[in-house]
Amino acid sequence: MKARIKLPIKMLAEMRADLHRPHPFAYERVGFITAGACAYSDGALLLARTYHPVDDEDYIPDKTVGVKIGSGAFRKTLQRSYRPPAAILHVHSHGGRGLPNFSGVDVRSAREFVPSLFGAVPRMPHGIIVLSGDSASGLLWFGPDKAEEYAFEFIGVGASYIKFGERP
Amino acid sequence: MTWLDRQSFLGEESNTVLETRKIAIIGLCGGGSHIVQQLAHIGFRNFVVIDPQRVDETNLNRLVGMTREDAKRKKPTPKVDIAERVIRSVRHEPFVHKVMDLWQTAGDILKSCDVIVGCLDSVRAKDELDAFCHRFMIPYIDIGMDVHKTADGYLIAGQVVLSSPDTPCLRCLGIVTEDALKKEGQKYGQAGGQPQVVWPNGVLASSAVGLVMQLLLPWHSTTTDSAYLEYDGNKHVMVPSNRLAIAARHPCKHYPPNERGDPSFDVRQLKISRKTTGPQSNMLAKIIAFVSCRLCH
Repeated sequence: MKARIKLPIKMLAEMRADLHRPHPFAYERVGFITAGACAYSDGALLLARTYHPVDDEDYIPDKTVGVKIGSGAFRKTLQRSYRPPAAILHVHSHGGRGLPNFSGVDVRSAREFVPSLFGAVPRMPHGIIVLSGDSASGLLWFGPDKAEEYAFEFIGVGASYIKFGERP
Repeated sequence: MTWLDRQSFLGEESNTVLETRKIAIIGLCGGGSHIVQQLAHIGFRNFVVIDPQRVDETNLNRLVGMTREDAKRKKPTPKVDIAERVIRSVRHEPFVHKVMDLWQTAGDILKSCDVIVGCLDSVRAKDELDAFCHRFMIPYIDIGMDVHKTADGYLIAGQVVLSSPDTPCLRCLGIVTEDALKKEGQKYGQAGGQPQVVWPNGVLASSAVGLVMQLLLPWHSTTTDSAYLEYDGNKHVMVPSNRLAIAARHPCKHYPPNERGDPSFDVRQLKISRKTTGPQSNMLAKIIAFVSCRLCH
């Protein structure tokens, strides 16, 4: 199944700017996108609704990882995603250029927390996104017991209409 | 040398974009026929053309690509077939998805389009298509023209609007109003069509194509994701409308981001729905469209 993620160009710029802000102690910032969804010709299409940076107080000091967030961040995200039901996409940035890759830590932690999101919003897919300066990658789960799949491509809608982050 | 060499300023990636982007043109009689022709000449390859009607002789004054023979046939030519013929006369091996039906029956293919251009006369149809495009985050370009009786003759007027996610919609811009919907409902079924002529359609269509191009292949840095151009066909000018600047001061309240997506979507049913409910949802759309038409009557 091919899954695409559509998001406003302005939101993309807003996320990149926000995620590059320094944090008092975390090495990087993270946020969450809520998204609608629909069936698509050969899979599913996720339609970004809103972006929410994780609040400063919801970061937890942990020198073993670049960033760690607490239950408060997830609680707030779930509250936003409950009604109307929304897909939850955890987002962070690796900077640089080109198609970014998830780190081993990214994937391992996502395999722990993403399936649990289906407990609150079972009817929507969920996943994680990593941005670079000009591209993005997404890993999506279509059920709590299903293996994750890469997003096929991203579509930016705005003053110019662009496609990026395509995965074969 | 290739047939697209003279538009190389559109960038190195332009051929890829022209090959891969899919554009829907809904309403193929007046402006829509110009738009189909221009997009084919530009080099687009993937088209969705939608119009439920066959031609009649009164279309010959404005439908680009139509011939007398199309109207004389025992079964006159469908407008979608003329659109396809025009595209194939220009573009080698295009993909043309034809829908000789109401656009509401083509939701699945429309969701996969990169831009939708609507050339619809009905205010209600414009409204519904704008709502669809906002729900699925598809840039929507609407064109329309009318001829108004004035004290000293007639005024030809029209508009071209680009409506994108997070920008003013047709309701924000005052093109769709409850009053207009009500008046249209009262007039529905009365004899006589709205006046339509080829040259204003050509002006409006060319501007619409310009907006498509600046979205997909921007050739300058001041592109925009919303536009409202007003056409005065008596003065032969197209000017930006003040309404856009006013409407853009506030977020669109008609199509908030939280309404994006299919409200009935359920990932647990994704495979089942693709196999079993496609035809049903298509039939449901037809029934809804039919009932809407009856209600308008």
